[in-house]
Amino acid sequence: MPTRPTLRQAATGPLSEGRGRRIVKIVGLQVALPLAILAIAFATAPARAKDDATAVSKQALEAKIKYCEVCHGQSGQGFQGYYPIPRLAGQQPEYIKNQLEAFDERRRVNPIMFNVAHVLSPEMQTALATDFNKLNPKPFGGGQKDLVVTGKKIFEEGIANTDVPPCASCHGPEAKGDGQFPRLAGQLPDYVFKKLTNWSKERGQDPAKPDTSAIMEPIAHGLTEPQIKAVAAYLSYLQ
Amino acid sequence: MKLINSYRSLRPEEGPLQSAHRILPFVGLAILTIVFAATSRADAAAVSNSAVEAKLAYCQDCHGPLGQGYRGFFPIPRLAGQQIEYLDNQLRAFVERRRPNPIMSNVAHVLSPDMITALATKFRDFNPKPLGGGPKELVAKGERIFQDGVPEANVAACAACHGPKALGYEQIPRLAGQLYRYIIKELTNWSKERGQNPAKLDTSFIMAPVAHSLTRSQVDAVAAYLSDLK
Repeated sequence: MPTRPTLRQAATGPLSEGRGRRIVKIVGLQVALPLAILAIAFATAPARAKDDATAVSKQALEAKIKYCEVCHGQSGQGFQGYYPIPRLAGQQPEYIKNQLEAFDERRRVNPIMFNVAHVLSPEMQTALATDFNKLNPKPFGGGQKDLVVTGKKIFEEGIANTDVPPCASCHGPEAKGDGQFPRLAGQLPDYVFKKLTNWSKERGQDPAKPDTSAIMEPIAHGLTEPQIKAVAAYLSYLQ
Repeated sequence: MKLINSYRSLRPEEGPLQSAHRILPFVGLAILTIVFAATSRADAAAVSNSAVEAKLAYCQDCHGPLGQGYRGFFPIPRLAGQQIEYLDNQLRAFVERRRPNPIMSNVAHVLSPDMITALATKFRDFNPKPLGGGPKELVAKGERIFQDGVPEANVAACAACHGPKALGYEQIPRLAGQLYRYIIKELTNWSKERGQNPAKLDTSFIMAPVAHSLTRSQVDAVAAYLSDLK
């Protein structure tokens, strides 16, 4: 993963410079000179990174959005390809950014999205997440209609006797999400089903980097498949 | 297909019909049920086996005896193992001039919906070896593009929609074993061949930016990979 760690190192420029100075005292000038050059290079890097924030050109952003929309739908409403490809429209920017980082750090294992995320600068991630958050197409739908009422009840009340809390308590009464808690309203039913039945194999896969996905794990386990189908059906029609 | 489904979903209503107190609405329903049942039966029987076999032989003239495709004057695509929904959509696209092709327009024009379903089912069940023909040295590069895309150039991974084995899904076509020249022709010519009827937009628009963002050498590589894929 060469690109992103380098950028992060760059962000800690002054620290690298400090370490550079300490080394100057220990080793001779011969070694110190190239090190100093390196240190200067690192120190100037943050300035460049700051430029990058404003430097995601409109053109680059538009091209990248088009690329995302090939799979995630023209208005980010999601798409049923070979895999169910999730809705991004109206999604929480913090959640999108966290997931892109998760793909890149292999906390969330997905070969296709790893490659996608790997080349995105933090600034591009922010720009994309902001853009998708603003989209508001109609839900993709497709859930089993006769399960919607059951799904709504589970979403709003949970299932007390099996310790499943109401989904609404974190995802909000309208399933719009908040911060790192994703919006679920209008999400593809097959996607919701696949995630909830597969949670502990797809999320939080780096033991060295536990993340917020741990919160959902006992809940995903506590739900039966018919209950998951019902919740997924309810969410699939939710505006 | 939809007709058959709705007929099936109506059927369970026959049970409570007997015990229901308010009979009138159910009579209407029952008539509907009978009508649906009759139509779907009649339609299914309307395509005789011999008619399907004759039509199949006609398709095989150009598309190969097992639907493996054929290198004619034009590259004639593989139909074997193809998704039924995709074939159905393309045959309608030829008729509706969403996909202009004088030869296929005439072919498709005379096919009834039931014949289309019957033919598509036949071709889906064929599984001949791929015709191959792409340069072997491009296969590895093509596989990488197919599975991962070219993220830095905003080329989406083909596998996301077409599946990791390129078998397709419903309206998304199978690409495994497709002819090398055919894939190149479609990808380099996408916006002149697909989605040509502005009054009838179709799913082909999804591929337009992908086709545009691939360079010619990337197209060649993907085509080489797919042309040999079982």
